[in-house]
Amino acid sequence: MATILQIFLIVDVFFVGVLATIALQHAIAHFRPRKQPETPPPAAVTAKDYVPPMMRERLAKESEAKFQDALTHSAAELQNTLGATAGQLDQLLKQLGAEIVGNELERYRADLAQLRTQAQTDMGAIRTEVEAHKTELEAQLQQELTAEKQRLIQQLDTKLADAVSSFLIETLQHNIDLGAQEAYLKSMLEEHKADFVKEVADEPHPAE
Amino acid sequence: MSLTLPNNIWSPEDLKELIGDLKQYAKWLAGYSIKQRVSSSSQPAEPPTLSPLAVSILHDLHERHALTQASVDKLIADLEAVEVVAPRLHFTFAAAPSNGLKKEFVRWCRDNVSHDALVSFSFNATILGGMVVRHGSHIFDWSFRRQILANRAKFPEVLRRV
Repeated sequence: MATILQIFLIVDVFFVGVLATIALQHAIAHFRPRKQPETPPPAAVTAKDYVPPMMRERLAKESEAKFQDALTHSAAELQNTLGATAGQLDQLLKQLGAEIVGNELERYRADLAQLRTQAQTDMGAIRTEVEAHKTELEAQLQQELTAEKQRLIQQLDTKLADAVSSFLIETLQHNIDLGAQEAYLKSMLEEHKADFVKEVADEPHPAE
Repeated sequence: MSLTLPNNIWSPEDLKELIGDLKQYAKWLAGYSIKQRVSSSSQPAEPPTLSPLAVSILHDLHERHALTQASVDKLIADLEAVEVVAPRLHFTFAAAPSNGLKKEFVRWCRDNVSHDALVSFSFNATILGGMVVRHGSHIFDWSFRRQILANRAKFPEVLRRV
């Protein structure tokens, strides 16, 4: 885009240079008329001989006026052309500037959108990771709480069992009624009779 | 050895005491026989004081055949042999057992374990109930204390069900 603009500006400058050169040549030709090479006047008849001075002066004035008009008209046209060209250039420069700014803005917007998308993606990944870590921590905490709870329950059960055992042992050993246990004792012997007899039969009986 | 121990001899101590009494009687009987051989007119010495158990055994022996030195010595030898080979069982209860209970257990042991089993008894209140039977190096612990301690882990479950 910049290259096209540069070419366009160079071409414009070239035309402006050509027009300026032409105008300068006309101006020089006007103020410094070129000396015509002296040709030998016709030997017999010259223009002076046929144009009266009054007419010649009038013709010179008319020529000068026409030249002046042409020069003025050319200068006006050149000025108009230059103004139009400048306006067009200005408009083109504005358009170009607007286009460039628009493109830059669009690119900036696209970059910004891409960055936003990237940031959102990264944030999503971070959020996911944080959620996963949070879930893991919660699970770990839950597991530790469960283990601690089980340990406390186990400890409580052990202490409770110890307390009940101690209570039973302490209480029962003062209230023993062997008579009431006679049937139970015989049933225990009958229940373990086989093991008992086998043990006695297997083991030698040394005198104590 | 075909001797069957009477049911009123159940512990090793009873047997030892009986053998001691019989040896004392055998000694007296030997002296008495010698004296009778030497002089028939001499007054017999007073027999030693024996336990009712020894008297009962000697009475049973006398009913089967003549009470001679040889028969008494054979009875002593048989009893000493029983003392050596008989299985010995020791029962521990939570309280002192009655004689009836002791006889029941002795009868059970001689019916089911060995006809010449020697059974002794003791008590220990800390076992709370049940009994502990010891035979040689083996112990059968059927006490309440043992069961309570063995099932200690079940207490919380039982309490939760209440």
